[in-house]
Amino acid sequence: MRETAYALEGIRYAYPGSAGPFRLEFDSLRIGAGDMLALVGPNGAGKTTLLLILALLARPSQGKLEFFGEDPWTGDDTAVRSRREAVLVTHHPYLFKGTVFDNLAFGLKVRRVPEAEWQSRIKEALTLVELSGLERKPSSGLSAGQAQRVALARALVLRPRVLLLDEPTANIEAGLALRVEAIVQETCHKMGTTVVFSTHNFSQASRLGDEILYLSDGRRVSFSHENCFSGTAETDGRRSWIEPRPGVRIVFEGRRTGHLTCVINPAKIRLFAAGDPAAGNGPNVFAGRVTRLEITGADLALVRVSGGLTFRVTIPLTEIETRGVSLSRPVLVRFGPEAVELIGSGAESRDNTHD
Amino acid sequence: MIVHDLLLAISVSLKTSGLAALIASFLAVPAALFLAGTEFRGKRAVLLINQTWMAAPTVVIGLLFYSLLGRSGPLGRLGLLYTQTAMTVGQVFLILPLIIGFSYTALRQVDRRARLTALTLGASPRQAGWVVLREARFALLVAVLAGFARAVSEVGIAMMLGGNIRNATRNITTAIALETAKGEFSNGVALGAILLVITLGINVLVQVGLRSRD
Repeated sequence: MRETAYALEGIRYAYPGSAGPFRLEFDSLRIGAGDMLALVGPNGAGKTTLLLILALLARPSQGKLEFFGEDPWTGDDTAVRSRREAVLVTHHPYLFKGTVFDNLAFGLKVRRVPEAEWQSRIKEALTLVELSGLERKPSSGLSAGQAQRVALARALVLRPRVLLLDEPTANIEAGLALRVEAIVQETCHKMGTTVVFSTHNFSQASRLGDEILYLSDGRRVSFSHENCFSGTAETDGRRSWIEPRPGVRIVFEGRRTGHLTCVINPAKIRLFAAGDPAAGNGPNVFAGRVTRLEITGADLALVRVSGGLTFRVTIPLTEIETRGVSLSRPVLVRFGPEAVELIGSGAESRDNTHD
Repeated sequence: MIVHDLLLAISVSLKTSGLAALIASFLAVPAALFLAGTEFRGKRAVLLINQTWMAAPTVVIGLLFYSLLGRSGPLGRLGLLYTQTAMTVGQVFLILPLIIGFSYTALRQVDRRARLTALTLGASPRQAGWVVLREARFALLVAVLAGFARAVSEVGIAMMLGGNIRNATRNITTAIALETAKGEFSNGVALGAILLVITLGINVLVQVGLRSRD
């Protein structure tokens, strides 16, 4: 059986000194050694907080965390020792003053790696991120893309057991992002490194992740945050609805009132050509145009439909043609009230939630 | 004023004020690091007191220590009054708030990600603290040099606690005061110029040394 890198049980996290609700709540999470896990969720979903917990930089307020079978929080020394096995590359990484070499040497120095090894390891890491020869360049003179790759090299040079990446491609142009993805994938597969990365990009998550963990409001949800809408609920007693935009109503089952947020699983939305009578006249039928069409790595196409609201829909590649989906084409999206999942609300009844 | 006396006065100035700057830095920088990295009740009051303390006149500090170190004072039996040690102690108290204030500002200006980044790369909390200090090293150096400049140029403490004793506690500033009292204004101005040149030299040496290491 494969080794377990992380085992989390009953994890609750609140900011130190905060009397507010828990920022993150997880009943259980297991990450296998050598796995690549994608964390997907909107801003404020808890992705960074989870990464900080996994990097052992934030201690859970409650619950149990095991890192390669051991409790890393038995003492300060244990935490530091364990932390040296899991390296986090933060969103908007910070480079220390000094040269690129100084930055890459920092982690080696604190780990007391013999100085004789530094040169070759730093050279190897910089070659991997295609920045060979930049050792002596001051970190202040790097472009955003170079800085991002230096930060990645600074983590790779340490050959960690776990690589944690907070939105690793958020600040770099598309071509470079693909290169970074390739490096991360190569590292994970070749060196057996466990990788956990956060992203807003659903297609990147499907391309890279062995598994995808969807987060919303500090909790695990069963699918992507794509198609996430908020509004004040009204009810007729049998069904309820919110109006994310005036006159645009999303209907769901059950009686709910108060402010709430809902998500619709992209796989549960159906696409129809504009005017197709099969779309019907029921609730939750929206007209729009295809504004993005992207092939993900899982034989699925991710389609963005923009109209009064913007929806993301996943359909099998084989159905692109049969459903007449192409860029700029007018289409209809439809989903049943039962496909609407309510999350993160404090409304009075929860009979419609099924997470 | 003969050359021998002049050299001794310069030596006393450098020794007492240099030592005061060194001791005050060892106390002030960790204090500033704590203040910059910790939120606690009463922190604002601490900063306010520190700022107020910065404006304390040298003669008031001199008077305070004079009453402590004088023969009838609580620390009189130590016999420190009119010694270079007393001058150094007084100067430490003079420049401590200045170095704390400047260092606090310098450390607050270090990118908050610096410490976190060090921790993500496996640094212990202490090593991460060093990283923050390293990132602020130029500004911290300015704080220490400002402290030294304040100490070397003050006259109140040196006069009250040192007593301006020839070949013992007379430093450049008390020598200037003496020359002025004697009506030897040109000597006073010359000593002032020497003081400025020494301070300039030290500033240049330290800055050049630090930049070459960088």
